Amino acid sequence: MNTCEDKEVAFFGKITAGITHELKNVLAIIRESSGLVGDIISISPEAIIKHQEKIQNSIVRIKDQIERGVNLTDRLNRFAHSTDETLSKIDLQETTEQLVTLAQRFARLKHVVLNTVPPDQETPPVTLVTRHVQIHMALFASLECCLTVMSAGGEINIGIRKLEGKNAVHMVCKGDLPVQSEFVRNICESENWPVLQEIIACLEGSAHLDETENGIVLRFPDEISR
Amino acid sequence: MKNLKILLVDDEEEFVITLAERLELRGLQARAALNGEAALQMIEADTPEIVILDVMMPGIGGFEVLRRIKKQHPQLPVILLTGRGSEKEGIKGMQLGAFDYLMKPLNIEELIKKMQEAIESHP
Repeated sequence: MNTCEDKEVAFFGKITAGITHELKNVLAIIRESSGLVGDIISISPEAIIKHQEKIQNSIVRIKDQIERGVNLTDRLNRFAHSTDETLSKIDLQETTEQLVTLAQRFARLKHVVLNTVPPDQETPPVTLVTRHVQIHMALFASLECCLTVMSAGGEINIGIRKLEGKNAVHMVCKGDLPVQSEFVRNICESENWPVLQEIIACLEGSAHLDETENGIVLRFPDEISR
Repeated sequence: MKNLKILLVDDEEEFVITLAERLELRGLQARAALNGEAALQMIEADTPEIVILDVMMPGIGGFEVLRRIKKQHPQLPVILLTGRGSEKEGIKGMQLGAFDYLMKPLNIEELIKKMQEAIESHP
């Protein structure tokens, strides 16, 4: 098993733990909301009329949290299926959007917002034949590098394009950032930078700092060797 | 335990609002803080009798809030909220001075019983 495959297990653990933590919060809200309805009903028939608004709000909360839970399980299911085939044809924009959704909670813990740049309507979608899970890992490691150096209130904008004929993902950090030289040093010294380099090597790609725009550029080949 | 002043600290707004309503129906006074910084400010302005504190929050996390509470108000009991399967977090919290921990989703009767134990052990 190569080092990238070793890291896949840890990556799966991290993402699954993040989603299940959110699911616990969903269940906690549903439990409290249904509990509140039960509390009111058990007081007296008059209490039901007196607290009618609380009962209605609880029902709305339960419905909203069920929707939230369904979305979370959809995300988890799609993520789980990314292992169905070792090599597959993927749409890089779609994969990036999927990963950004999975990573939102990690960014929120640091008070950073993640934005995907919508694709140019006139440009055909960027597709690759590659290892789906490891693409997720590379994108996530790249985000982690950025999150390490960012302060609260920042944003990371993520766009897909062809750059010098290669398929590229461009992550640009915005907000209260250190000066350029410190930004570069902090990213290179972060524990995630060598991890990113290892993963991107397994994908026959490259990861470089964009010093002009305070970001990271990932490049991937159209098809990796089998 | 009637009129016990409780501070609930959790970034899930819907959760704390609903839990506060349930506690108030039981004759308890519950206020909510949605992050660590707000919780610390509210404690300084009007110290509660007990704090129910989520571990995983953006910004200042639960453990740091716990450390600061224990530094300023060593006698103020704190009960941590952790996720299921996160016993390690609960144990770490108790080593940092939390009275105990409960796992989400909560059982409100367990929470009330735990609060009673905490108040009785911190007269």
